[in-house]
Amino acid sequence: MSSAPRARSRIGALVRHEAILLARAPGPLIGYTVMPVLLMTVLRPMLERVASLGLTTGMDGTAQAAAGMAVMFSLFALKVVGAGFLQERTWHTWDRLGASAARTSELLIGKAVPMLTVLLVQQAIILGFATAVFGLRPAAAWWPLALVAIAWTGCILILGTAAATLVQSPAQLSVAGDIAAVLTSILGGALVPAELLPSWLRAVGPLSPGYWAMRSYRAALVDPAPASLIGGLAGLGCFIALGIALSASLARRRTDG
Amino acid sequence: MLVAEGLHKHYGAVRALRGFSLCVRPGEIVGLVGENGAGKTTFARAVAGLVALDAGTLRVGGVDVAAEPRAARAALGWAPQELALYPTMTARENLLVFGGLSGLSRRESIQRAAELSVALELTDVLDRPVGKLSGGQQRRVQAATAMMHRPTVLLLDEPTVGADPLTRQAVLSAVRSVADEGCAVVYTTHYLPELEALGASIAVVKGGRVIARGSRTDLLAAVPGRAVLRYAGAPPKMAAPMSDPHTVQIDGSDVTITVTNPAAYVATLLATHADGVHRLRSIELSPPTLDDLYRQLLQATRHADVVSP
Repeated sequence: MSSAPRARSRIGALVRHEAILLARAPGPLIGYTVMPVLLMTVLRPMLERVASLGLTTGMDGTAQAAAGMAVMFSLFALKVVGAGFLQERTWHTWDRLGASAARTSELLIGKAVPMLTVLLVQQAIILGFATAVFGLRPAAAWWPLALVAIAWTGCILILGTAAATLVQSPAQLSVAGDIAAVLTSILGGALVPAELLPSWLRAVGPLSPGYWAMRSYRAALVDPAPASLIGGLAGLGCFIALGIALSASLARRRTDG
Repeated sequence: MLVAEGLHKHYGAVRALRGFSLCVRPGEIVGLVGENGAGKTTFARAVAGLVALDAGTLRVGGVDVAAEPRAARAALGWAPQELALYPTMTARENLLVFGGLSGLSRRESIQRAAELSVALELTDVLDRPVGKLSGGQQRRVQAATAMMHRPTVLLLDEPTVGADPLTRQAVLSAVRSVADEGCAVVYTTHYLPELEALGASIAVVKGGRVIARGSRTDLLAAVPGRAVLRYAGAPPKMAAPMSDPHTVQIDGSDVTITVTNPAAYVATLLATHADGVHRLRSIELSPPTLDDLYRQLLQATRHADVVSP
């Protein structure tokens, strides 16, 4: 067999393998998809009321609830991504992947494709529920919303991979992931509209990837100006670049000398 | 073929490999033995491309590991010392993923998994999650994953640790078959009788290098064995029939002789001292074993370490 078909075989085997691993432990992902739908349903009336009182100037209640929950619970799902890499280390299988004929890029693609798909499905279900039940509509077209979902999902995937390089155990990942998800959601204005946050918290908001995700979703849902969308996506791009730099250390662990 | 020449690897002040050299020909099984920390696992990880060497040359299947790491990894089948499988996946799924990672098509992987499951007696457990298999079954699955792509070089790092006799026998048979197909096998173990069963040549590792290398027969030729002669009453007085270095211990009616070829020694002894033969009740011959060789080599090098500057 020549090189290209062998590469396809390797990537195909890895994609199937990763999909099986995700399917064998679906609990967290189901939870992170059902919980935001429930919370969105509960929070939407309150957020509508807040918006009607003129306390927020950005998104209406439905858009804030849908985007906020999509962002917040994809941050929780970041732990699933991190766990996917971390368990390779705890099972000692990462070394075996590294000692295989697969390129590092093939390993990362093979692991990333199923995770990316699952995270996109999570975003689609949350936003789809808001569309079907609460009448969520984009500002101009659907494609910016899809673009934001893809960019944010990619960012989560990269940050999850980076998180796996920074922690040593599943317990550490769980604790750090929960705290980081809540903190990032607050700073980004996903849990509570940013306008209601204290000014000192608003000032540090741009340090959170959640801030740029919410800004991107706001652009896609209520602000059709291209500059708004580009600005939000650029912010996400910075976090993707940061995540790639951190994740590179994981690839370097293939050779420990 | 596996060729390692002058490998060096330091971890800070620790010198894990100090001039490690080894050559394993196609079809040959080399048993790598040595104390914990001798450098066996560092060597295995270097062959697997997971350790960057400070110096030396390492070729797997004719491919330089440093120059063409992917090609070298493609020629290698490696089962590490610790269990490294996906516990939530079935044995079959584990075999298929490692087959696929080696570049086998799905059809090739399925076929090869079926062959290996028969060879390693895994057919009954193929569709059970690995995490629910016994330790011995897990070890067999791990060995099978390393053999999926018919590697040119097979490196098994303590594949039978904690395994029951049946598991051990299945693994040994499969390893022998792979070697018979022309694979160069490096087999790391602390169970020296396994190497006798495999008919493996032996490399003894100490202090990050190979201190003895050869066939079992050659290496054992210089190792003393024992003969115990049991007499009715006090043993007769005997002069040494040969000039070989030997020791004689008398304990009541038993005479224990430690010598390099105990059978030949006793035969000559009895021929030259026929007067005591009628009182001889039994002769117990204990030829040297790999354990004896191992102990002797380690003691010798320990002494050498002390006296060398």
